[in-house]
Amino acid sequence: MRKNLIAATLLLLSLTPLANAATVEEIALMNRADRQKILVEGAKKEGKVSWYTTLIVDQVVRPVKEAFEKEYPFIQMEYFRGNSERLVQKMLAEYQAKRYDVDMIDGTVSPTMVRRAGYLQRFYSPMLAEYPADLKDPQGFWGTTNLYFFATGYNTRMVKPTEVPKTYEDLLNPRWKGQMMWSTSRGSGAPIFVGTILNSMGMEAGKAYLQKLKAQNIAKSTASNRQVLDLTIAGEYPLALQMFNHHAFISKSAGAPVDWQPHEPVTATIHTVALAKNSPHPHAAMLLLDFVMSERGQKAYQQANYLPSHPKVPAKQADLKPGTRFKRAYYINPDAQYDKGNEWVDYFNSVFLK
Amino acid sequence: MAKQQSTEALDLPATVRTTRGRLAIGAASLFDVPTSLMIAVSLITGYLVLPPLYSVIQTSLFTTKLTGEIDQFTFRYYEDLIRELQVVGPFLNTFYFAVGAALLSTILGGSIAWIVVRTDSPLRSLGYFTAFASFGTPFILYTIGWLLLLGKAGPINYWLKILLNQTAPVLNVYSLTGMIFIESLLWSPFVFLMLAAAFRSMDPSLEEASAACGARVWQTLRRISLRLLLPAFFSVMLLIFIRTFESFEIPALVGLPGDIRVLTTSIYLDAQKLPPRYGSAGAFSVLLMVVVAATLYFYFRLTREGDRFHTVTGKGYRPTRVSLGRWRYLTASGLLVYAVVLLVLPFLIILWASFLPFYMQPSLEGLAKFTTKNYVTALHFPKITDAIKNSVLLGLGSASLVMVLTVLASWLLVRTKIRGRWLLDLMTTLPLLFPGIVMGLAILRFYLFVPIPVYGTLWILLIAFVTRYIPYGIRYTHSGLLQLHKELEEASYVSGASWFSSMRRIVLPLITPSFLGGWIFIFLLSAKELSMSVLLVSPQTPVVSVAIFELWENAQIGELAAFGVIWTAILVTVAIFYYMIARRYGVQQN
Repeated sequence: MRKNLIAATLLLLSLTPLANAATVEEIALMNRADRQKILVEGAKKEGKVSWYTTLIVDQVVRPVKEAFEKEYPFIQMEYFRGNSERLVQKMLAEYQAKRYDVDMIDGTVSPTMVRRAGYLQRFYSPMLAEYPADLKDPQGFWGTTNLYFFATGYNTRMVKPTEVPKTYEDLLNPRWKGQMMWSTSRGSGAPIFVGTILNSMGMEAGKAYLQKLKAQNIAKSTASNRQVLDLTIAGEYPLALQMFNHHAFISKSAGAPVDWQPHEPVTATIHTVALAKNSPHPHAAMLLLDFVMSERGQKAYQQANYLPSHPKVPAKQADLKPGTRFKRAYYINPDAQYDKGNEWVDYFNSVFLK
Repeated sequence: MAKQQSTEALDLPATVRTTRGRLAIGAASLFDVPTSLMIAVSLITGYLVLPPLYSVIQTSLFTTKLTGEIDQFTFRYYEDLIRELQVVGPFLNTFYFAVGAALLSTILGGSIAWIVVRTDSPLRSLGYFTAFASFGTPFILYTIGWLLLLGKAGPINYWLKILLNQTAPVLNVYSLTGMIFIESLLWSPFVFLMLAAAFRSMDPSLEEASAACGARVWQTLRRISLRLLLPAFFSVMLLIFIRTFESFEIPALVGLPGDIRVLTTSIYLDAQKLPPRYGSAGAFSVLLMVVVAATLYFYFRLTREGDRFHTVTGKGYRPTRVSLGRWRYLTASGLLVYAVVLLVLPFLIILWASFLPFYMQPSLEGLAKFTTKNYVTALHFPKITDAIKNSVLLGLGSASLVMVLTVLASWLLVRTKIRGRWLLDLMTTLPLLFPGIVMGLAILRFYLFVPIPVYGTLWILLIAFVTRYIPYGIRYTHSGLLQLHKELEEASYVSGASWFSSMRRIVLPLITPSFLGGWIFIFLLSAKELSMSVLLVSPQTPVVSVAIFELWENAQIGELAAFGVIWTAILVTVAIFYYMIARRYGVQQN
């Protein structure tokens, strides 16, 4: 009897907060004048926010955390870092077991994977209005924080200024046979190069080009783009295809014999941010989402040498973003990458693997 | 794979013997020592091994939804695999790679073990130090070190070009030979530790008899010593063959740039599709399991006759050292070359890289750019002290637990005649074949659903590591116990000792070399574990191997190198400390 009473009380106690609180969906889509006030009040009670990220902790996650906690001293940010696949596996496994730890998730493809599994929550943020259409999801599932642009990295001691391949066609020069390397990574390596070519040149011309490129015997590595670029700096291969232009810039600034050369249209990927469906701290999560997309939050990305996606926030080294050194970029939408990516991987495997 | 099925049963102590007599009757046998031990060991092993085994098989037979839920039954992954096996190139490459690495590392590690343990060669201690230190170097870093050394623009090719007056690079590391070379170097410390333990427990009388009959050192070694060590050799070759067959890193980093494709690289490149599918990896490992199960079963049957491998008997077993005479200069230089190739060269190039703002080939120009910036970055890595503490704790815990569990399992395999015990042998070998990612996911899901609150703690990593490293423990202890003649235990029982005190006072002290060899190996290996750790760590439980992986994916070579140098230094310190303790207990003979 007494046991039942205790059980009933416990049940009642556990239900009470639910009865009053708004759902994650309501908080996420809230669009009213006192939104900020409600979010701050809610976040004060929550006290915490958890971010599953694919960004580099030391370079950018920590500065963003510091800037955010300075803005909202009553929220403590926890982060967990992993590459896209592992991060998503972890989150999906947790959701399967009804364990809801994560508030915000980011990545070039991870939010899309989570969305397809049905575990993202659409959201409204006043910041979204400041972004162009290809940098936000029309249904409100994701916004963006930063951009990546790809270029050919080359060793300046091995490649004379006059020789530097300027266009995609220049890569077919017999001079470069056996002299190039690229990464096999789905999200940043050869497969998205294939995607850009097929999309920008059209299927037929694109395939013809890639067949010719195959004859150049490009060395493949499962190493990351960063490591492939380092092999080029070390002199192993004069050219590294499909490198992050900011990596080449950072190394060049340190004095390394390396530079980057864009080929138009430049492949670009976008780093998206999204809200978890059962976010345990939805108020704090919305403040965090607002913050990372705001001009102030974007400055933290900028200072970390990342390329902010906010149109009004330039890169620290301005020519890394489109405008001066290159004009046209082909932005790979994360949903397109998810849907078309398998075809690109298949095409790459069938053409370039011996 | 136990032998010892000689006709006489082990003469167990009176109390044990009476209950053993009732074994056939049933219930009462639950209380005899071997049977209850068998039940306990099997339960623990089964608890650890069977859930991931189930997952691996399930993964290979079902498609999954994006959420990870099981979807439809399919043979597709096996069909794909069979199609891939029919492509001659990758299959043959895989086979040559695995056989080549197993042979070369066994020859390398075995020769060094023989010199260190059985001869009076100078510089013997160097063997242990080299093995510990090189094995303590993070795997990826070690490989990168060799790529930088042997690369087209690397120092070795540079000097060879000058010496041989060539214009093109002389050595091509991106080749099958390069893969076998680096993989063999990676595994030779394992061979060394295991065979050193086996060489140490040799029956000198057989070798002395051979010598008395006029056999030369080499003849005795070939006809007597090596044959007695068959179980140890088998264990070593089996493990390396399997590990190499299913290894990914070297084929991907060394083979792929040279268009040498093996089965794992094909599977990996194909598995880049979304949603992630691990079916091919699952099918590959199930196929390997069948092959290994058959191998173990036949080996078990082949070796059931006689006591051929007992080398530690009541007659005194401490082997004498071979006096090498003038040859000792040759063996000493062999040890020196081994140390230089296995340890000094790759470590120096990593050390070099760690002091540079960006990688440059060794040169005066590079020297002028020396900086400690990378070390500052490495030391600021988030939660680095926690990561180091956790990794060391996990190493200590998993090495100790695995060795205790596998000593008991090996004792059961070698000493008892319980039917079907080869299944225990199989079960303790299977984790070797689980693909890391599938096993990691299996453990992750299992503890998310089972109400045992280890998710997000160090305990889940410990469970995963123990499961992962049981196969290594079993190979060390099994070959160690095979050398131990049962008469020693019988003498103990006859003198009235209980099973427990016989274990403690006879068996354990006599197999100390294998036990400690296995312990340090697992300790060092667990420090490198990555494929499960990346899934199982939580923000509160960082480990070093994951930190190194993050740096490998995102940082420059110099930062990775600096972090690696720090971690190697810590591991080597632990290993040396351990070595000094172990020396007293006979890992190395005085």
